[in-house]
Amino acid sequence: MSVTMSEAPMKEGYTDEQKYQVFNREFMPHIDSMYNFAFRLTTDEDDANDLVQDTYLKAFRFISSFEQGTNAKAWLFRILKNSFINDYRKKSKEPSKVDYQEVETTYNSEDAADTTHTVDLRADAVQDMIGDEVANALNALPVDFRTVIILCDIEGFTYEEMAKILDIPIGTVRSRLHRARNLLKEKLKNYASSMGYDA
Amino acid sequence: MNVSSNTSEAAGDKQEQTLKHYCEHHAECMKMIQAILDGEANEAEKEHFRQNMDKCMPCIQTYHLEKCIKETLHSKVERRPCPEKLVAAIKAQLSN
Repeated sequence: MSVTMSEAPMKEGYTDEQKYQVFNREFMPHIDSMYNFAFRLTTDEDDANDLVQDTYLKAFRFISSFEQGTNAKAWLFRILKNSFINDYRKKSKEPSKVDYQEVETTYNSEDAADTTHTVDLRADAVQDMIGDEVANALNALPVDFRTVIILCDIEGFTYEEMAKILDIPIGTVRSRLHRARNLLKEKLKNYASSMGYDA
Repeated sequence: MNVSSNTSEAAGDKQEQTLKHYCEHHAECMKMIQAILDGEANEAEKEHFRQNMDKCMPCIQTYHLEKCIKETLHSKVERRPCPEKLVAAIKAQLSN
């Protein structure tokens, strides 16, 4: 499988020693965020371990296409996301393709996405929830929608960084986030109702 | 949060009169509120938000709800740190 990254010309530049330096100085500091991203995508510790390890080994192999001083975190996240799609998504239990299509069709219609979603969940119902409850609602989203929320709200990437990580235009980042948040609100609302909150 | 003139820099008692309880362009407003909360709004959007934020009840509620969800995701969803063993395994693989 090929890693699609910005195809910077192969630089003669890095000596072996420099490769380790770049790896340790620029890549390793992001390992907690990378692991967290992997865990949120796979929702499984073993899969997250494998995914992070594969990603870091790939990053080392392709280190000559990484330009020092550019955004290492976004570069790494992009490799991880691509590895996840290519290697893990198909073997995960999640029937993401089917769900995603269905959800895309529903939510691509502006009417469905927009007008039905007025405020029907109260902020204090959300405030009362514990982290696990919110995480479960997040995990229940199809992976493409889950991903934009993780990148934006948990990892704090900008729209521009997200566009690069996901290979989609910024406009698509915006609309996907919008849909993802509406879906998340629905999950949170169902949860709040089931718990007897006056949502 | 509709487009209304900013000439009514009125006293507090005007607030109640102008507060809307139905938003006819809520979808557009939601997208703007999202951009504001994500720190991605442009100047025009920020200005529109400043001028109109306190005039529309559904938008005020949406703003607070979206802000609350965003903060909850950031602060309450547990961050899993990378296991030490994995760091060691990666380093071991590289030194082979």
